[in-house]
Amino acid sequence: MSGRHTGEQHHHTVEGTDPQLYVEVHEPEADTGLRPVLLLHGFSSSTKLNWQDTGWLAALLEAGRRVITVDLPGHGRSGAPEDMDSYSPSRIRADLLQVAFDAGVRPLRDGDPASGLDVVGYSLGSRLAWEFGATQPELVHRLVLGGPNIADPLAAFDLVAAQRYLADGTPIADESTAGLLKMAQGLPSNNIFALLSLVEAIKGEPFDPAEAVPHMPMLLVAGEKDDRAATMPELAELGARSGALVEQLLIPGRNHSNVITSRAFKQAATEFLGV
Amino acid sequence: MAEISFPLPDLGEGLIEATVLEWLVSPGDQVERNQPLVEVETTKSAVELPSPQAGKVVRIHGGPGDKINVGEPLIVFEVPDNTAGIVGTVPKEEAPKRRVRLSAVLDED
Amino acid sequence: MSNATLESGAAMAEGTARRGVEQLSMQQALNRALDEVLAANPKALVFGEDCGRLGGVFRITDGLQAKHGTGRVFDTPLAESGILGMSVGLAMAGFHPIPEVQFDGFAYPAVNQIVCQIARMNYRSRGTMPMPITLRVPSFGGIRAPEHHGESLEALFAHVPGLKVVSPSNPHEAYHLLKYAATRPDPVIFMEPKSRYWQKGEVDFDSPDPAGSPTGGSPTGAKVMRAGRHLTLVAWGAMVARCLQVAELAAEDGIDIEVLDLRWLKPIDEATLAASVRKTRRAVVVHEAPLTSGLGAEVAQLITQACFDTLKAPVERITGFDVPYPSGDLEDEYIPNIDRILFGIQRVLEYKRG
Repeated sequence: MSGRHTGEQHHHTVEGTDPQLYVEVHEPEADTGLRPVLLLHGFSSSTKLNWQDTGWLAALLEAGRRVITVDLPGHGRSGAPEDMDSYSPSRIRADLLQVAFDAGVRPLRDGDPASGLDVVGYSLGSRLAWEFGATQPELVHRLVLGGPNIADPLAAFDLVAAQRYLADGTPIADESTAGLLKMAQGLPSNNIFALLSLVEAIKGEPFDPAEAVPHMPMLLVAGEKDDRAATMPELAELGARSGALVEQLLIPGRNHSNVITSRAFKQAATEFLGV
Repeated sequence: MAEISFPLPDLGEGLIEATVLEWLVSPGDQVERNQPLVEVETTKSAVELPSPQAGKVVRIHGGPGDKINVGEPLIVFEVPDNTAGIVGTVPKEEAPKRRVRLSAVLDED
Repeated sequence: MSNATLESGAAMAEGTARRGVEQLSMQQALNRALDEVLAANPKALVFGEDCGRLGGVFRITDGLQAKHGTGRVFDTPLAESGILGMSVGLAMAGFHPIPEVQFDGFAYPAVNQIVCQIARMNYRSRGTMPMPITLRVPSFGGIRAPEHHGESLEALFAHVPGLKVVSPSNPHEAYHLLKYAATRPDPVIFMEPKSRYWQKGEVDFDSPDPAGSPTGGSPTGAKVMRAGRHLTLVAWGAMVARCLQVAELAAEDGIDIEVLDLRWLKPIDEATLAASVRKTRRAVVVHEAPLTSGLGAEVAQLITQACFDTLKAPVERITGFDVPYPSGDLEDEYIPNIDRILFGIQRVLEYKRG
């Protein structure tokens, strides 16, 4: 990976234990002077899989944006802490805030295009971005939410069935649970028990988008065949009702796992954030 | 002119094939090194493949939805004969430049 | 050469039909030579990293696998010790291996095979186990490549008894020297100046020493590439072209320079070297390799030995520096440039005894 400030950031711990997050700040060759973009990947993915191999990082750098990437706990090159608390969405949001400040992000100021932060999330990352935008209005400038859902599919994950399956191979009845576990197991780099801790923590703090609604402009993007993001219009309506400028984009022919490389998605996001 | 064919690279994780989602270049296009060529999807993830080199696209293999096995031809480039190397760059032939002048009284003894 | 028969130029030309002259790059000339060697000798084999399907990173073996088959032109693993170790076994079994080490700096892992086996097997077996191996090594710098892609190993290999070392300076030399080397019964390290791969030049297929070339001689000798009266520039590989440029510039200042392409770096053609410097009475040796214990020292000593009484100045050496070969951005500072060579010539010209 490129970027001047790379490597694990150990300098700050927000609450108690070190979150062991792997953070990178990627500098563009020709900086447009716009605020940095924070990328939040999805469940069972990583910065590499979600943003780098798919061409997002290159596209944003090409557009002259400074990019902050972070691997979620138990994912990619981040550590897999043993305490459950490290995986709770609220704790992750607090860590992300610290990551942003460490990377030099400063609160939004009128007329200063370098101030604030744009956030792009995908799937679980979109949930985190929604909440982060809602709770950090003085910091977040715009949001792009890919493959978003009004209810986190991980909240319905049958943890007991998954653990039984991992212990003795008992088949999992719930299709969504079986699919998510298969996806998580597909990557040898995944720490499966850390991922289950994340699921458990999410079940403890399920996504409730109405609880706090972001007010900054947001772009919602999903593949036309993305069943997991079928509720995107409801999320859009929720945002619009509370006064946010909301745009939606459906990418023809794509589903939850392959919309991410779509050129149309990247172009729309880059344009939406390029103000 | 020489043609260079690139196969679908090993995408790691023991994957043996990928499905073409969308080509980002067409035959006739001049592409730069690292320019995105094609989006492909595997059973694990979707990726954008960057061009391993600069050149003019002659042929692309497989349309959206087609499966390509790792190692099978993906794209063929046309490159000038004299850039068909892979490491380093071809030195430019330039007229010699000098700053030093010679001066000598040569006794022909 | 010690145990190879000298052949006249005429004897090297195959058949009787004249094939004429073509404009080729050194890449194409080498490719042509390998193609012809493979066609003429069923025991000849060409192999190395990317040499088969890809045709080599410099396209020297382009099309040879399709033409001669995967049994005779093939890819090897990325293991130079294996490439050269296999060459030893193939040579023992009666083949003529023509392996490629993809870049100069990649030869280091195979030094044991080259020095301890290839160079000695003939000696060790009292001549019952010759090692007809032609090792092609894309060599020297000048293409802005990373570490291990710009090194000059001639002194290292010239120091090893049992090895022959040769480096062509242009497409014509490349074609004829490779055809010659690949038909020798002895191991030859064939150092290709990679910065000269792409420049085109006339290749006279009928004779290694076409009529009208300044002076020729045996295929194992040095070659005068430009005749001159005042000073001899001795060079090999990519530095020959640069020295020819320098000679033209020196002519503007009234200095008439002879450029001697040493060609064979082991053994060195002492007679041609001595004859040139006896005439000009001044000599400058130019090489890309570092100064200390470089081949320039050997050349300077051979000149001094043969021409001590008539030399007008000590032999100058213009070389790379005693540092690891630098990254591409610093290459132009490292490789002897025109002004450094001109300075060396000026020092020799203005030398006063006493």
